[in-house]
Amino acid sequence: MDVNKICRDELLKLANEKRIYLEGNILKVISANDGDSEFIEYLNICKNRDKDSRIKRLSVTKQVQKQNKELVAKQKETDSLMIELQNALDSAQKAEEEANKLREVAEKSKDKALEDLDLIQKKSQFKLIGTIVRVALFVILGVGILTTVMYAFAIVTDKETQIIGSTWSNMFGILLTNAFSIVGTIMGVKYASDKE
Amino acid sequence: MINSILLVDDEDLFHLVFEDACSILDITLSLEALNSSDEADKKFKQWFPDDPNHERPECVFVDLNIIGSSFDGIELIRKINSDYGNGCVIGIISSSDDNKEIEKAKAAGAQFWLVKSDDIEPRLEQFRNDYDGYLDKSNPFKVYK
Repeated sequence: MDVNKICRDELLKLANEKRIYLEGNILKVISANDGDSEFIEYLNICKNRDKDSRIKRLSVTKQVQKQNKELVAKQKETDSLMIELQNALDSAQKAEEEANKLREVAEKSKDKALEDLDLIQKKSQFKLIGTIVRVALFVILGVGILTTVMYAFAIVTDKETQIIGSTWSNMFGILLTNAFSIVGTIMGVKYASDKE
Repeated sequence: MINSILLVDDEDLFHLVFEDACSILDITLSLEALNSSDEADKKFKQWFPDDPNHERPECVFVDLNIIGSSFDGIELIRKINSDYGNGCVIGIISSSDDNKEIEKAKAAGAQFWLVKSDDIEPRLEQFRNDYDGYLDKSNPFKVYK
């Protein structure tokens, strides 16, 4: 593209007085007339300045681009770490929940074991009571039988029955009174033992 | 020098890098950059069915993975080649050099694959030297690593 004399002079004036030069791709289409060494030199200066500024800008842009890529990579790394952290947190929460469940199960087992122990103790106590009641029954029955035999012997041998008769009567009364209580206790113990 | 280039890439910073590199290497005077394959598709759609003689870019560089687009660069190449008349030199510009993707791009009609990196200028220079072969379709598919 040719530039007329007025434009040429204005461009040179701008460059000389204010150091303002053309830049950009327009420089690649402007041509100077043969022999116009001043304008040829002006265009060369413009092209060199444009090239230098583009090289500088390219270098800066590349640097920024590189930094951006590094930042993006770091961001990805951070995101990945955050995901790992979140997963670890979730796992810890799950483990805590599991531990709580296990603790509940353990507490239930402990309660059950305590209940069983209490039951065994009660059972032993019931067995002991049963034994005592049985022994007491045998003692009462023994005394009753012995007194009856003695009373019968006194009647048969025509001996004095005044004392032994009242003793037998009292003993029989006590035996009848207590027998129901003893039988009731035995039945109660038996019922409790069977139930357990 | 290439008359006009269309760059389709989601990274704005790369637009600047590409523009400066092209200017320093005197590759083109006219460069347009778009951020998504949808925008590019819309433009080609306007040009092709309604106005097939509209001046379209002579060369198109498409990024492989264009974030924020409905389809990737390979699909855009396929569309441009099969739906919009295959009227330009077209290829992929990507930081990836995955052989599987390269083969897919080749099958879709890409003419070249240029690997993006910090030092893109030598590859663009090589591409500029091979460009005439792409224009007359005499050059085979090439990967610039």
